Amino acid sequence: MMTAPISVSGLVKTFGRTRALDGLDLTVDTGEVHGFLGPNGAGKSTTIRILLGLLCADAGTARLLGGDPWDDATRLHSRLAYVPGDVTLWPGLSGGEVIDLLLQSRGGADRARRQELIERFDLDPRVKARAYSKGNRQKVALIAALASDAELLILDEPTAGLDPLMEAVFRDVVRETRRRGDRTVLLSSHILTEVEELCDRVTIIRDGRTIDTGSLPDLRHLTRTSIQAELSASPGELSGATGELAELPGVHDLRTENGLVRFDVEADALGPALRCLASLGVRSLVSRPPTLEQVFLRHYDRAGAARAEAAR
Amino acid sequence: MNALTGTARSARLALRRERGIAPWWIILLVALALVMVSYINRNMSTPELMATYTTMINRNSFFRALGGGFVVPELGYMAAWRSGGFLYVLNGLAALMAVVRYTRADEESGRIELLRAGVLGRRAPLTAALLVAGGVGFAGGAATTIALIGIGLDPAGSIVYGAAITMAGWVFGAIAAVAAQLAQTARTARAIGLSVLGIAYILRYAGDASGQYWMKYISPIGWSHLVEPYWSDRWWLLAIPAAVTAALTAIAYRLAGRRDLGAGLIHERRGPATAPGLRGPISLSWRLHRGLLITWAAGIACFAAAAGGVSTLAYQFTEAPGVTVDNLLKAFGGSLGGGAVDFALWAIILIFAHVIALYPVLMVQRLRADEIAGRAEAVQATPMTRLRWAAGQLVVTGLGTAALLAVAGVVFGTFYAFLVGDPASDIARLLAGTLGTIPAAWLVGAVCMLAYGLVPRASVAIGWIIWIAVAVVGRAAGPLYGLWGGTPFEPFHYIPNTVAGAPFDPAPALTMVALSALLLGGGLLALRRRDFG
Repeated sequence: MMTAPISVSGLVKTFGRTRALDGLDLTVDTGEVHGFLGPNGAGKSTTIRILLGLLCADAGTARLLGGDPWDDATRLHSRLAYVPGDVTLWPGLSGGEVIDLLLQSRGGADRARRQELIERFDLDPRVKARAYSKGNRQKVALIAALASDAELLILDEPTAGLDPLMEAVFRDVVRETRRRGDRTVLLSSHILTEVEELCDRVTIIRDGRTIDTGSLPDLRHLTRTSIQAELSASPGELSGATGELAELPGVHDLRTENGLVRFDVEADALGPALRCLASLGVRSLVSRPPTLEQVFLRHYDRAGAARAEAAR
Repeated sequence: MNALTGTARSARLALRRERGIAPWWIILLVALALVMVSYINRNMSTPELMATYTTMINRNSFFRALGGGFVVPELGYMAAWRSGGFLYVLNGLAALMAVVRYTRADEESGRIELLRAGVLGRRAPLTAALLVAGGVGFAGGAATTIALIGIGLDPAGSIVYGAAITMAGWVFGAIAAVAAQLAQTARTARAIGLSVLGIAYILRYAGDASGQYWMKYISPIGWSHLVEPYWSDRWWLLAIPAAVTAALTAIAYRLAGRRDLGAGLIHERRGPATAPGLRGPISLSWRLHRGLLITWAAGIACFAAAAGGVSTLAYQFTEAPGVTVDNLLKAFGGSLGGGAVDFALWAIILIFAHVIALYPVLMVQRLRADEIAGRAEAVQATPMTRLRWAAGQLVVTGLGTAALLAVAGVVFGTFYAFLVGDPASDIARLLAGTLGTIPAAWLVGAVCMLAYGLVPRASVAIGWIIWIAVAVVGRAAGPLYGLWGGTPFEPFHYIPNTVAGAPFDPAPALTMVALSALLLGGGLLALRRRDFG
């Protein structure tokens, strides 16, 4: 079996007294688009920069495309492409020059593909980098990465600064990439809809540690589904029925208004709760799966999660 | 809303920001003026000495033109002749930079947009910039006047001199005001202003050196020189720069009132859409830094040509009284008598070598600048990892340093040979002497590279310290003030003076090349081992 393009375990990196990474684990399999999530300062960029051989890990192991990211950097980099989170370019070089520089130092480029992406991203390649907006600088780095035939793409918040139209182009291009099946993408992002739409699996980190990893259904499994049901029972019966529901383990925040019952239920308790509802006679039922945002908030910040629940 | 609304607030803001800048310019002007007076007093302490000096200077048109069209044995005039060439240019430069700083630079960064969204007239930023820059220019002139009167120079002459300095500032402030309306970026606006300043200086210098005084009348720097403070005190000639300042200000106002925010007549040049040749670390370094090298080569060529002309002065060294020349010659490894001219030529070559040794220092600093700005990060993720990236820069730096020394040697040798010496032998001799200093210049850069690899945070400061220690204390200025350098750490003094006939000895050159290689290797190794970015 082929080794995973990225496999990191127990990674530790300290800067002075700050512990940026504290035993981080991350595995990305061939052909998948892997979402890499975490609040600001969680250690996403530090992890990526260790994977690129820019920083040297203090402890733990990191393997990239079967090699050591620090020792074999030059050899490995011909097989990957990278979009930094904060793209800074040489002010005197035009966008076209930067794209060619990055493509050619990776060894040749498909000119037609380059041209196609410049057109799709609507970039004027003759403008000097000092005159580009943040979004346009981002496009330059994106085109250079996506036009390459690298087997691994490392994208650090690649759509920050792009307008919604360009964000859609980016999603299309990544989906096309995924369809080919032989390219792996590590996508660090704050835009959860983007991650939900594109990623096969997700790793969530906080304070330099991995706190959850898995496919989106897996992650959702750990989060409550919200249910809103209209029951045929009379108001008198309702209070008794809801009492029964509220006692079920795994049912939370039950409230009734005008004959409507709302509650959140854990995945394991979904079956019993629905059976209970059915016995009361359901006129209509709305079930909302947890969004990634709720998964995310649950992990990041208990208070934030509580707020999100309360708002529903 | 009036187009000038908010000028006072803008001016106060500019003044607040000027607090950390303007005082240094004013101190520089006053210090230079005073230093030159004490220089004249020290070297020309008696009327006889001064007469000898002035005769000698008047005979050498290249040297004389540094300060004007002629010299006379009069302290005030000599002081203004010696310092004016600097002060007019410096005050012009200060005003030029200030006007661009508070107009186009603020507009480009979006700061003016923020203010214009509030209550601020269209012409307020320009007015505030002109008021502040004009005030700073006036302060520079007035402070010089006060200082010179304070040390006992003729009050009337000092006031005229101060007025000439002020007007040089005002006229370049107005030039910058127009440039800031025309250009779309602060960089271009500054480039326009600096080009005008450079051309004005060259016209003035060429006019004085050749006696074609009409060139001075078309040069904004020339107008201040024409006043001839302490001598003819033709203050009314300052009506020319005053009228030009008024006219240029009017033009700038018209332009400022008509154009859109952020717009300019001169647009940023577009770059190429593709770059097929840009594929390796050397081509990247060349593409990024060729501008710097070309600018340096042009500057070095200009100074080498001027030095070739001034070196006619070398013949007159033997006539020169005072201990300074004597000290200088001895310090450069010679004594008066046989070969004094050759020693003077070698001294000039060493000055070029010391100046050019700054180039590798700056190039290594640019590595650091690219690293901290994050520009290198995208490249690091390609197979152009840091060793290859830095090595490419070092190749360009090494060859660039050698090329600059070659330019200095060829231009200086040619000018000297045709003006004074013998074209058949002198060009090759001076070029060979100049090229002989290459290993020492490399060594300076290699130390900086080691510092960059080992202690990146301190490397920029270390680079400057090394260069200043080598160039200023080490050999050129040290001997003048009795601070004999020649320490074991100053590489240039190991090079045999082949220009004055010392036998060529490969040992110092080989040692320095080997040492450079060692330091560069150490620097690259350290860079490879540390965290990047």
